[in-house]
Amino acid sequence: MSASSLALHRIGVQRTSRAWALAGIALIVLAWQFAASRLGPLLMTTPLETLAALIALVQRADFQRHAGTSLLRIALGAGGGCLIGLLLGLAAGASARLRGLLEPLRWLLMAVPPVIVVVLAMLWFGLGTEMVVFMAMLMLAPGMYVNTVKGMQAVDRQLAEMTHVYRFTLFQRLRHLYLPTLAAPLTAALLIATCGSVRLVVMAEVLGAADGAGFALANARSTFDSGELYAWTLLTLLLVGVLELALLQPLQRRLARWQEQVDA
Amino acid sequence: MLELEQVHLDFGAAPVLAGFDLRIAPGERVGLFGASGSGKSTVLKLACGLLRPRRGRVGNRHRRTALVFQEPRLLPWCRLHENLVLPLRAAGHNRIDAERLADQWLDRVGLAQAATRWPGQLSGGMAQRASLARAFALTPDLLLLDEPFSALDPGLRQGLAALCDELVTQSGASLVCVSHHPQELVPWVDRCVLLKGGRGHAYDDCCDEATRAATARALQLALQEPLS
Repeated sequence: MSASSLALHRIGVQRTSRAWALAGIALIVLAWQFAASRLGPLLMTTPLETLAALIALVQRADFQRHAGTSLLRIALGAGGGCLIGLLLGLAAGASARLRGLLEPLRWLLMAVPPVIVVVLAMLWFGLGTEMVVFMAMLMLAPGMYVNTVKGMQAVDRQLAEMTHVYRFTLFQRLRHLYLPTLAAPLTAALLIATCGSVRLVVMAEVLGAADGAGFALANARSTFDSGELYAWTLLTLLLVGVLELALLQPLQRRLARWQEQVDA
Repeated sequence: MLELEQVHLDFGAAPVLAGFDLRIAPGERVGLFGASGSGKSTVLKLACGLLRPRRGRVGNRHRRTALVFQEPRLLPWCRLHENLVLPLRAAGHNRIDAERLADQWLDRVGLAQAATRWPGQLSGGMAQRASLARAFALTPDLLLLDEPFSALDPGLRQGLAALCDELVTQSGASLVCVSHHPQELVPWVDRCVLLKGGRGHAYDDCCDEATRAATARALQLALQEPLS
């Protein structure tokens, strides 16, 4: 077997290169620096100015209140949306009737623009946490639902028969048949939901909240404080990065550990 | 006692079983033969409740039934030891008992050193021995074998068949074994059934070496005949 075919065989199991990811970040920062120097400080601050604004921002008295509120909303939105999507997905994966019943709702929620849901949620709940969390949950649940249903349909029928013959309990089937099969699509869905939750919460706060990172960002925009505007944006990006690197990627590695050891 | 009476089953428009009868007495060993697609695996799936007949009756009064599939069907994300522990836990053994039994049976089939390996790290023969150990660890009183050695090379096949023969003799379980190879299976069963045209045809002469050889030859010929 040639070296190239061996490399092709390993495409699916290779870890993402950290060094190339750092190079990707460097490219973005360079492009940012170039764009900022062309647009001027009112429209775009440079990376260094943004960093200075970020350091000043985290030292302000109201920073913890805004950041804490947003984090709570992100956690509730992502957690609630994923839990609802997972439970409905497990049930719909096992029942073709329920799947049919939920299909129009899934289609509706995936097709409607989030900004319309924000406007409607503002009418129903007013401004604040309820509106933001409701909107995030509603927008994030379908992604998790679709991935769970697809994962359930991909469960190996031969292994399912084996668990039936050996009379596995419902818990054993969930833990040792369904969850391992669902691990890859679910962690991908969790990653998308977590990052999506940050974006949706910040957007909802920009449009209709009296506190949170999005509210502070909207304030910075209205006062033409470009430094603070970009500092909040950078903070949001950092939050997504931390969630992915510290929470989701270790979880993905933990769930795929057996596969790595078999491949090794 | 396992009884299948006048069982009819179709997959779509194609009838697979049409009035099939089979009765297995406690401790009896039966070889089930037939061409590909004749419904041999279907009979085993009916016996362990994976399928229900369209018409007819299936009665399985055995306390515990184990089926060894054509493929090992080990959970790829569980280590070998855990693959044996899970069915034992499902059968009501506590964790300590289940782990002790799993160790015992892995040792018995020569896989004690491989207990912590993943199924993907085992050879075909090792994986099939593990699936036999998983079935025997449950101390079944009805063992169903669905061509469990067909994917293995002849030397390994004979070795595993001998091991299986020894384990069934020791346990005293009833046995239904599906095979394509009369010469290999006839020597260790009490009687044979040929599945053809959706019905069972009895080949009962398995009382000594000479009659077994004749039965194996007759079955081999019958398997080569076109469906009448």
